[in-house]
Amino acid sequence: MSDNVGLAQLSDHLLITAVVIYSLAMLAYAGDFAYGRRVRPAASAKTSRPVAELAGVGAGSGAASAEPPAAATPAAVNQPADGRERLGPLIRGAIALTYAGLALHLAGVITRGLAVHRVPWGDMYEFVTALTCVTVLFFVALMMRYRAWHLGVFVMGAVVVALGLAQTVIYTPAGPLVPALQSYWLAIHVAAMTLSVGIFFVAAVLGVVYLFAERYNRRVAAGRSPADHGIMRRLPGAEELDRLTYRTVVFGFPIWTFGIIAGAIWADQAWGRYWGWDPVETWAFITWVVYACFLHARATAGWRGRRAAYIQLIGFGALLFNILVVQTFITGLHSYAGLG
Amino acid sequence: MTDVRTPEAGSGGAGAAAPGEFVPGDPAPPKLPAAGRFGVTAWARWGWRQLTSMRIALVLLFLLALGSVPGSLLPQEGIDPAAVQQYYTAHPALAPFLNAFGLFNVFAAPWFAAIYLLLFVSLAGCVLPRAYRLARSARALPPAAPRLLSRLPNSVRYETTMTPAEASAAAEAFLARRRFRLHRGDGWLSAEKGYRREFGNLLFHIALIGVLVSVSLGGLLGYKADRVVVEGSSFADTITDLDAYHPGHLVSPGDLAPFSLTLDKFTASYILSGPDRDQPSVFGAHVSYTAQPGGPVRSYDIQVNHPLNVDSTKVYLIGHGYAPVLRVTDGRGKVVYDQATPFLPAETSTYLSEGVVKVPDAQPEQLGFAGVFLPTAVDVDGQLQSAFPAPYQPAVSMIPYSGNLGLNSGVPQSVYQLDTSGMHRLDTPVQVLTPGQSMKLPNGAGTLTFTGYKQWISLQVTYDPGQVPALVSGIVALAGLLLSFLVRRRRIFVRAYPGESGRTVVDVGGLARSDVGGGFETEFAELAAGLGAAFHGTSGADRPVPVTASTPARGDDDPSPTTEETRSAETE
Repeated sequence: MSDNVGLAQLSDHLLITAVVIYSLAMLAYAGDFAYGRRVRPAASAKTSRPVAELAGVGAGSGAASAEPPAAATPAAVNQPADGRERLGPLIRGAIALTYAGLALHLAGVITRGLAVHRVPWGDMYEFVTALTCVTVLFFVALMMRYRAWHLGVFVMGAVVVALGLAQTVIYTPAGPLVPALQSYWLAIHVAAMTLSVGIFFVAAVLGVVYLFAERYNRRVAAGRSPADHGIMRRLPGAEELDRLTYRTVVFGFPIWTFGIIAGAIWADQAWGRYWGWDPVETWAFITWVVYACFLHARATAGWRGRRAAYIQLIGFGALLFNILVVQTFITGLHSYAGLG
Repeated sequence: MTDVRTPEAGSGGAGAAAPGEFVPGDPAPPKLPAAGRFGVTAWARWGWRQLTSMRIALVLLFLLALGSVPGSLLPQEGIDPAAVQQYYTAHPALAPFLNAFGLFNVFAAPWFAAIYLLLFVSLAGCVLPRAYRLARSARALPPAAPRLLSRLPNSVRYETTMTPAEASAAAEAFLARRRFRLHRGDGWLSAEKGYRREFGNLLFHIALIGVLVSVSLGGLLGYKADRVVVEGSSFADTITDLDAYHPGHLVSPGDLAPFSLTLDKFTASYILSGPDRDQPSVFGAHVSYTAQPGGPVRSYDIQVNHPLNVDSTKVYLIGHGYAPVLRVTDGRGKVVYDQATPFLPAETSTYLSEGVVKVPDAQPEQLGFAGVFLPTAVDVDGQLQSAFPAPYQPAVSMIPYSGNLGLNSGVPQSVYQLDTSGMHRLDTPVQVLTPGQSMKLPNGAGTLTFTGYKQWISLQVTYDPGQVPALVSGIVALAGLLLSFLVRRRRIFVRAYPGESGRTVVDVGGLARSDVGGGFETEFAELAAGLGAAFHGTSGADRPVPVTASTPARGDDDPSPTTEETRSAETE
């Protein structure tokens, strides 16, 4: 109809370029693991050294020195003077590539929206491109604070796979929406879902890395692995990964909850009931319950650590199942994937 | 909703009886009462403690998720009864077995209800006592400051020329300005903030109970009905005038909103080209209605995302189709049928529709017709097809029957199906009629005229009094969730005492009892700096000197609990 073909093509090209750049970023992150020099001085190379602490100290001393009495700066006695780790050239290149890919990715999503004169999350292809954009955006924001950029290899790997599949398997040309989707609730409900899925995506990657770190810790304790493994030394310790995962889920969970509520309001307007156990609704509920399990498990003796991490991954599995199987193959009211 | 039932380990010495700290049944699993030695009460108490323990709540949550799975993978009675019938035909051996477990109606099955009711009892059993404790502790004071503040996760030491009493007063004034709850003792001060976290957590869980109550309220007091309306016709919201009526258990016929509604016109637009050709782009049903008999007539345009709301009863547009207007003249030359007859769409992309006409008044024999309506009729290699859903080239093709329609047999019949068992097909070639055209039936049995067409819509009438309470509960739950995630509960302790150099030593320590989002270190640093400035006070040039400071090194073996993670570890 009045869709702008030129803009739609531009969007496609931007997104393909973004995937290529993300792949390069991933290679650079991986190259840093293989060839980068040791990043931490031996004194602070304890595997459990948390990254947040480093950021916390930096911020703390900054705030204190801003006070008028200059002498009131608390000296962090049990911290190294320079807590920030130095980044090698490879990883700095990887970070730069991540930013460049993200810029193209964002531009690709925005031009798609401009091409179709609506929010760019109206079909499955658009949904996946938008949610992976959130994933990278959230990862970058998280790393600005916690500075564990080495996790980039895992996040970039997962994003490249998701975005690459979106462009090859479920690519849908730009087009208008069916009447049921013509509502401002599309902007609200699907935006919330896109945001939270993008965030849960990061949490799932962190969860997997945590499981490896936790296994590594156990092997070290049992004397079956060397205590200064090259890759593990560059990653945050298991405890810190656990905390990061938790905070990520805590960030995504209220957004998911909001998305379900917004979806219920929209369902009430469009379908005449706010909840009807449509397959997609059911799986959104299952996902919510499993993430709730994770949040409770993490605070329950005997369920913390590995078990909680597995629950979190089950939650993400339910999420993926909902997107990949239920919305695509099971007939229901949410059959808008545009995959025919 | 984190650490809901986790006892928070007391950290500030004695008297750490803040809300949420003691929780029945957790973390230590209750001991099984030895059989024979305990009576019913002991068993009941044991059962109750089990039920309200976090472990059982987790198991119930899991079961709830797991139990929902078949509800999405198997066809459900409540959503698509026809699909359930198909499943029975396709899997005749398996289906009755699945049905025995209620798997075709999971969300109304007793076992599913058992899971969520147990879960909510467990929830109430945990949340209500906590709410009671929170209310009681509204004025409770934070615990006394521990002796050695330097052992807390965050601490800083200042020296000042103020006297210990002055320094304490300065700290108290500073923390009071920041709305800490204060407890002053001999040479020490303890301050706590962030009680809204527990409040938010409780709010969230209580609101979930609210959601459940709202849903059941809607199930008991609400109703749902369907009605097909042809352009130009009307209906009233009464049981007799509705096609399918599903009332809640406590709904009586008099409870229905007394409105009536007329469909003036239905319009639909379709996409004419491109990959989405044949897809609808806009639907609209222009209706006029009166809220009660004798009331003013209003008009409204019902669209897919815009239901009509009449005094909280909502009318939704859920389907549409074509109703060809057919006139039948019987063998006597008398017009025995002349009305718009709704046909059901058989193909959603082209709106090729199927329908029947039953003419019981025809003489000498009853007449029946079964056939199709084609909005845009085209001939493809001798095959009659519809090329587009919009009515660009409307046509009907009907097959005539005569005999006994079987309407008096006592067996209920669908208006969309013809029972031809008592009829015979009239021998006439298949004819395609365009508006105005007629077909003569053989042997002078009569004529069928296609005079034109109208459109019909299918409306759903819904009244659900649980809707607004459910929405309010949902929003409150979300607010509670955000409160419990965003607010951190933290304590600041101050001890001031005379130092060896004659100056006053002030120790400041802090710990976050919950720090989901992180950032307590930053806040502590700011507070400590502010306190340092306060000790500078009015006493002149001699400024306080921070002697030592520490922030937590959580990877190290620091015995002090910093965040809830380490706290729950201690409770194990």
